[in-house]
This record gives sequence, structure tokens and C-alpha cells, in this order.
Amino acid sequence: MTNQLAMSTAPHSRRLPNLKVLAESALLIVLIYAVMAVVYVSVQPSALSPYAIEALLNNSLPLMLAAAGATFVILQGGFDLSVAGIISLVNVVIAVMPVDGPLGALANLGVALSIGIAVGAVNGFLVAGLRIQAIAATLATMIVCQGAALLILGAPGGYVPDFMVYDLTGSVFGVPVALVIILAVIALWSLYRRTDAGRNLLAVGQDRKAAGLSGINVERTEFFSFVWAGAFYALAAYMLAAQTSTGSPSAGEPFLLLSFAAVALGGTAFGGGRGGVTASLFGAATLTLMQKVLFALGVSSFYTGVIQGLIMILAVLFAAAVRYAVRSRRVA
Amino acid sequence: MTSKSKTGSAILAAFVGTTMLAGAMTPADAKTADGKWLIYLSLSYSGNSWQSEAANIVKALAKTAPYNETVELVEVISGTDPQAQISDYESMIAAGADGVVSFPISSTALNRVVRRGCQEGTLFFMYDATVTEQCAYNVSYITSGFGENSAQALVNELGGKGKIFLSRGVPGNSVDERHTNGAMHIFNQYPGIEIAAEYYSYWDDRTTQQETAKALAAHPDVDGIWAQAGEYGAIQALLQANPDRLVPMTGENSNGFRLALANPDYQAKGLAGVSAGSPPAQSGFAFKLMMEILEGKREPLAEGERNIQYPLPWVPADAVKLCEGDAFENGCNAFPEDKVPSSFVTEVFNPELLPELSLASALDGQPTEGATIQALPADAVQKAPDAPGINCRQCEAPEDIYALTKIEPTVQP
Amino acid sequence: MTGPHPAAELSDTAAKDTRTAQKVSSTTVAVLAIYGLVAVLILASRAVSPSLGGLSQIETVFYLSAFLVFCAFGQGLVILVRGLDLSIASMITLGAILSTTLMGGSNDGLLYLVPAILLVCAMVGVVSGIGITFFAIPPFIMTMAVGIIVYSLCLGVTGGTPRGFPSPMLREFMQDRFVGIPSPVWLLGLFVILGTVLQGYSSLGRKLTAVGNNPAAAHVAGLSARRLTILAYAISAACAGFTGILLAAYSNGATLRMGDAYLLPSIAAVVVGGSSILGGRGSFLGTVGGALLLTTLSTILSALGIGQGWKTITEGLVILAALILLRDEVFTALQTRFRRTA
Repeated sequence: MTNQLAMSTAPHSRRLPNLKVLAESALLIVLIYAVMAVVYVSVQPSALSPYAIEALLNNSLPLMLAAAGATFVILQGGFDLSVAGIISLVNVVIAVMPVDGPLGALANLGVALSIGIAVGAVNGFLVAGLRIQAIAATLATMIVCQGAALLILGAPGGYVPDFMVYDLTGSVFGVPVALVIILAVIALWSLYRRTDAGRNLLAVGQDRKAAGLSGINVERTEFFSFVWAGAFYALAAYMLAAQTSTGSPSAGEPFLLLSFAAVALGGTAFGGGRGGVTASLFGAATLTLMQKVLFALGVSSFYTGVIQGLIMILAVLFAAAVRYAVRSRRVA
Repeated sequence: MTSKSKTGSAILAAFVGTTMLAGAMTPADAKTADGKWLIYLSLSYSGNSWQSEAANIVKALAKTAPYNETVELVEVISGTDPQAQISDYESMIAAGADGVVSFPISSTALNRVVRRGCQEGTLFFMYDATVTEQCAYNVSYITSGFGENSAQALVNELGGKGKIFLSRGVPGNSVDERHTNGAMHIFNQYPGIEIAAEYYSYWDDRTTQQETAKALAAHPDVDGIWAQAGEYGAIQALLQANPDRLVPMTGENSNGFRLALANPDYQAKGLAGVSAGSPPAQSGFAFKLMMEILEGKREPLAEGERNIQYPLPWVPADAVKLCEGDAFENGCNAFPEDKVPSSFVTEVFNPELLPELSLASALDGQPTEGATIQALPADAVQKAPDAPGINCRQCEAPEDIYALTKIEPTVQP
Repeated sequence: MTGPHPAAELSDTAAKDTRTAQKVSSTTVAVLAIYGLVAVLILASRAVSPSLGGLSQIETVFYLSAFLVFCAFGQGLVILVRGLDLSIASMITLGAILSTTLMGGSNDGLLYLVPAILLVCAMVGVVSGIGITFFAIPPFIMTMAVGIIVYSLCLGVTGGTPRGFPSPMLREFMQDRFVGIPSPVWLLGLFVILGTVLQGYSSLGRKLTAVGNNPAAAHVAGLSARRLTILAYAISAACAGFTGILLAAYSNGATLRMGDAYLLPSIAAVVVGGSSILGGRGSFLGTVGGALLLTTLSTILSALGIGQGWKTITEGLVILAALILLRDEVFTALQTRFRRTA
């Protein structure tokens, strides 16, 4: 399914008709990513080998997808902690499904997406329907999902179909499957943001009241932002299962803070109204690449955290400085 | 290079793996440019005494002659995210590591990258925690029966009946599951034993203290506590609830717990039990074993034979003996209160396997003055039994997996 | 999710002149409802174990929730000014490590060391605040990065094994009783009174609320939104440091990850207590209620004889049920019905 999408939209994105939009939302973080990639490659030339690139993409993909999901909710002004719970739950469900082969992988995908969408819908109902604060409602669903994951699989293990483990993390015609998925998500987002639903998402985030007055169904927009998020978390868990070839009831925990950090690094504003999925994808990729850069630079022991923290702050400052420079030039 | 070979037959894969490894492993020419072995010490997170002591031991050994001349040791801390450790392993393999001695974050998620590393000629030695990938060496006490032996010790102390707490480790963790299954195998034989509360303490003193305090609110009349690491916190919670009453309990190897077991005041209040569990010394054993194999002094083991058992430390209350010096000498096994923090894990020493170490090694990673690396005894390697999901994937646990090794039942069910 | 301006939203449904009164009373009712819920939980816990539901359980709940309340107060102030403090876990660790290494198991210098440690922590908070206000770094990134840096420094300096012991006097304080009640519970009571006055009834509290409601308007009104925001982060860091000092005394030593268990609960206590995550609305008494609710729940759960999976699910569902019951809409509906029948 994702392959088809990518096929039909890949030429579209190669012509780059939306360069201006991209410049406003994602270009800065792409630039930061590029700078780090240059540093990395210059220290570690072997990083350019096809295997190294494929491995890096596979390693980055789950966090990228999780951050993409979180972006939908954050854009409308919400907050979704359930990412940790949904990823754990979907991850263990895949690991206990007794299926095999490409069809088994497809069945797994179907089950994964159903769970993600279902939990997302519950979140949406709690927040949009019952008007519970998003951060509190999704905290509760996160805990429930973690409990359910523990019930399904008491300790890491289970079985993931070989097709997922090898083919979904490999390459097709020399192109890593992970890259195809990333491009498909970018394409999907650049289409979505042009639809009414996409525009509404940003409008609600900018000014909830004005959006409501102008006839946008605010509740509906909120609700579906959680559903989209749930679907993406499920996809992240699916690819995580493929990469690690097992399930773990605590698989989602590392994603909780990292996915939000990725979104923030991408420049999407907490509180809503500004940013986009593409930027978050690169925000996540930057965090994963940072791990590589730190290793290559040899600062990988006790004080790693100091460098890590400083890079995060500097990346945001850099983006702010560029934005400031562009703005002041416009004024001049 | 992507391995597309779908493991049709486990035996075939293991065979191919072994031959590939044997082909890639030519010890003499696999060194760094300056002629040293490139060894990575890969940690999950260095956040508690246990983790840092285990790391310090390896660092101290690498600074001890002759390794100080022949080994380049690089320490990498990956945090708690398996994805980060996968990324770091990839980087180590790409950097041409000769060996990786590591505390693996996940028993299963790292398998693919470990398998790839083996194919590239990197030796993987896991300590304490394990991976189920058969090409890696696991050096661990996990299979040595901590759960069932300590449970039997508690049952003996309680005379076969009473209300107990289980202070467990981390939810969803295979080590915690193995220990608890072993313990429950014993407890279930005694109808008089009632599990009044079961809680997760994350192998941490402070969490154990708080969780035990919560359980005590519901069951102030508890008769005994079976604890994993963090056990010293349980003693503190008991004293907090009632300064005059302690109960028999078993736990791991913290210095605070050992001193408490030997404390006559505490014994008078009711404390009795055994200190056993995970020894940080495993890391040192794993490192020395790896170096001997790398240097060709010891034959590599065949795949499927690489699970190595580290003996279970076992110190009942009457066997606690204070050390006067800075090492385990003359059978001592605990340190005076002013020398180390109470959370310090005492089992950093092993006079037979690791005679090179002293307190400065465990606390600061410093080599012991004048010490040189001693060869491991020829019979140092003891094969661990299969434990599905812990050190192997498609395998069966032996039938006597929970057989008692350290203690005899003194009460019949 | 409540809108950015809850007051403005309310004005759609309520007549303008009764707006303030209605809002105040519904906040009060919400706070009372949390404490009611805590009481119900404690009474219901008798069904779980006969020893529960008594004074000793209440004492345990107060004692253990004290740590959470101390750091949740700072978190609450930061959330009040539209922020979020993710550095709390590391600041707890910093406070604990500083106290054990500096005090080294003696009482000398206790009087100046505690304020000094709090000051160091507050300075770290000031750094976070400056990054957020003057450099417009999102609070999420800034506090997370500062947290990572502080943790990494603690790790590097201690080499992974924090040494030393807390001062014996602090340790005794954590174990002592005064008039039959553990001294930390007295401290909790004092802290709650001071915190409530500071957040709800002092000019500083009103200013912080104003900044959270509308930073631009607050600026026009002559308030330095930046200075106040920085102050909130400084207080939060100092509160976390304070929690760390007490935790080290409670467990007789510091560990590097001792703060981790407080990050999410500190946020949860604040939002369950009725504060808006979007700033400008919240009461400390509500946060205290939230902390008590979470602690009571976990006390009961640990006594339940069911598997961890079911325990976790139950915990999530009870929190969810509390959230559904504690909604503004419920109180408004009740109020309307009450008025009609009266």
C-alpha cells in the first residue's frame, strides 16, 4: 500500500512544486541535518556505504514515524502521551501473531493499524467529546495500553515474520524500503495539508475560537488528529518489530520524550498552528544521527549528555537565528 | 551487505555462522593501526552502583599490565533505548572493533546487529544480561538459580508458613521473570506461604523503600520479604514502619544489606536471611575470557556452547565477614560502612577469577598497584543451561531448571 | 482539551457578570471533589485489605506523597506560565547528590549547605528560564536539554557511584515523629500552606497567573513576563532540589536515577488537580489533591493480588474515571440542576 503511494507521488515531489512551503516549515531542520551529516561523513567516510545508509535509515524510521504521528496532535494544539503505550501494545501484538510470509506481514500491518486507530479514537473521544485535557487523557490511555502490553507478553520475545524482518528492512531495486516509506509519508503530508482537513488542523491550532466561528468543526478536527497519530504510532511499532525482530512490553518507553523532542527540534510549535510532519521527520532523523555523530567524534562516555543537550539547544537557536535573519531582511 | 538468508534450518545457519566466524577470526591481523586490540565497553546506562562498578572493573583490568600496552578500551554509554545501542553496535562494527564487552539492554532486540558483528569478525561478550543470539557469548549468573535458592532460604527461615512480599525488578524484563518464576516454583509448594503483596522496585534502593512502605500500609503483619536488588530499601521501610521489628528477608549483594544481616541489633529485631544475586564481577570475567580467546590462548567455543554460567554468590547471615583491606581476602565479603556507600554491590571480587582487583578498581576504575593479569583457571568456563528467551531462542529448558543448588529444604510442605 | 483562554470560553455560556463567581466556585468544587475522591478511595480500600483504610494508611499516603507535592509545586508554577519543566528528574538527582557529597554524613554546615544547594539548583532553573524567555527556545527542548546536561555532569563527576551520606540530623528528621505524626508530614502541611498562599493569594501568584493567561496583556499591564517566567523556573528547580535533599535523607544516600520516578507524576498531579496545561489556571490545593490521589491509588494497587498487567490497566482506568468525573462540565451541569431544583 505504501509502495503504491510512493510510486504515484515520487515524481511529483521530485519536481518540487512546493519549495516555498518547504522553506517555511522544514528547510531549516533539513539544513541542520545536512550539516550534521557532513560532519559525520567527514569523520567516518564508511558512513556512505549502502549498508551504512540502509542501517541508519532503518534505525531512524520508528522514531521518525512516531514523531510524525505526534505532530498531528501538536499542530491542533494538543498533546499526546499515548505514543509510549500504543507502540508497546502494537509491538507485542505483532510479536504474538502466528503469521508468516508477505501476507502475514500484511495481516500484521492491518492489526497494527486497527489497534493504533482504535486507541487514537478513544483519545479523540476523551479529548474532543468529553473535553478532558489532552495531556491527562492520553496519560491515562498510555498507562492502560502499557498494562495491556504486559498482559499479552510478560517479557521480551515472540516471533516476527521473516518477511518483515528481512524484506521490510532491506532494499528494493537498490532503494532502501525505509526511504520509500519516508518519502511516502512526506508525500502523504504534502497532499494532506492541502486538503480541507489539513488546513483545518492548522487553523484550529492557530486560533481555536476563530476556527470555530469560521465554520470549522473543531471537535472533528481534534478527533481525527488523534486518529492519525494513533495510526502513525502503530506504523512505528510495526517497523520497530521488523527492525528488532521481536516484541517487548516496554518497547514504547524510549519514544515518549524522544518523539516530542523530535517534533520540537523540527520547529513545530507546542500549542499548535505552526509546523509540519516533514519537519518532524527530520527532527527525529537528526536525533538518531546525533547518536552516530557523537560516536564518531569519540564523545561517547560520561559526558555525552552534555554535548547532546548543547546540540539540541544550539539546533533550535540556529533555526531561530536563521528565521530572524530572513525576517529582518524582509523588513529591510 | 544484507543477509537475505532466511533461516530455514537453525542448524544450517549455526553451521554457516561458525564457519564464517572461524574464517573471519584471524587474531593476529585484527588489531588497530597502533597494534592494540580495539575493544568497546558498551553499557546500557551508568546510573546505579551496580552498572558503574561492572564498568569500572573492566576499565581497571584494561589498565593492568600487560593489557595497558595491548588493549585500547573505548567506553560507550547508550542509555536505556535499545535503538541507541543498536546504533552504537553498528558504529563499533564499522570502526573495526575486535571485541565488544557489553551489558545488553534487550535480550532479543540486538540479535540482528550482533549476528552481523559476528560475521564481520567482532567478538561479542555479554555480561549479566544476555542476548538470545547464539554467536554471542553470555557470561551470566542468571541461570544459576537465584530465585529458587533464595526463596527456599526464606521458606526455611519462616518454617514453611507466613505472609510475604515479593519485591521484584522491572516489569516486562526477562531477568526479573526468570528469578520470579524460580521463586514461585518454591513458594507454590508451600500452601502455608501467602504472597500478600507483589510490587516492582526497579532494582533500586529508594523505589524498593517506597514500594515496601506502601505494601506495609496494607500488611503491617508481614512475615518475610523476598527481594531482588534494592533490598536495603526494604530494611529501611521496615524500620520506618516499626523501629523494633524486622522480618527474615532475602536479597542481593548490597553492602548495606550484608552489614544489616550481620548486625546483632537487627538480628535481635528479627532479621535473618541470605545475600545472593547478581555480581558485577561478571564483567571482569567476560572481559578476561574474551581477551584470552582474542589472543589465541583459549579456543573459541562453538556456537550453542557460548552460554557461560557465573557462580551464584551465596552469603547467609552467619557467613558475613568484614574485610580489613581493600579486597576480598581470607574469605571476607563485606566492607565497613565508612568505606563504601550502602548501595555498593559487594560482589566485585573473585579471588580465583579476578585476583587483580581491589576496591579502587571497583570504585574508580583504577588498576591495583603491582598487579598483572593472571590467566584464568583452565576450568573457569562452566556451561550454562538453556533458558528460552534468555540465552537461546528455539530451545527447551532442562527439566530440573529449578533444582536447588545452594540450600536444602529444612521444612517439608 | 480546554481552550487557550478558558475564561473566554466560559463567557459564551454564562452571563458576563456572574462569570468570575461561577469560575471561582467551580474551581473550588473541583478541588473539593478531588479530596472527596481520595477519601472514597481510602474507604473503599478496606475491601482490598482490612489493614487499609485506617490511620496508618493515611499516614503512609501523606508521607510518600510529600516528595511528589514538593516537586509538583514547582511544576505547577511553570505550567501556570505556559511552560513545562522536564528537568525535574535531573534536578532531584542534583539536589540529592550535592547533599550527600557536601554533607558527607555530618551535621556541620547543615544550616548553610541546604540554602546553598537550593541556590545552585535555582541558578540552573534561571538558565532554563533565560533560554526560554530571551532566546525563545521551546520549554520542552530547553528543560529536556538542561536535564540531560545536568544528569550527565552528575554522572561524570560521581563516576556513576555517588558517595557520601546525608546529614544524620536530616535523616533523623525523616524518621522522627512530632505529636505522634511523622515530621515530614508536618513539613508537608507547612509547605502546602505556604504554597497555597504564594500561588493563590500573593501578588506574585496573581502576577504569574496573569502572565500565564495572556503574556502580552500582562506586559501591557507593566509586568515583566520574562522575569516572572524565569522566576517560575528557578522556583521549580529549587523545589526539585529540595525534594532531592529529602529523598537522599529518606533513603540514606543518593542514586543517579532517583528523580526519574517523579517526572510524569509531577505533571500528572498538576493536571489531575485541575490546572490547565496551557497556563493561566490552576490551584496548588488541586495539585496536592492530585498528588494524594495518585499516591493513594498506588498504595491500594500494591496490595491488590492481581498481575502487574491488570494493576497497570486498573491504574489507568481509575485515573481516567477521575478525569471524567472532575470535568468542568460535570460541575456546571450539577450546578444548573441544583439551581433548578432549588
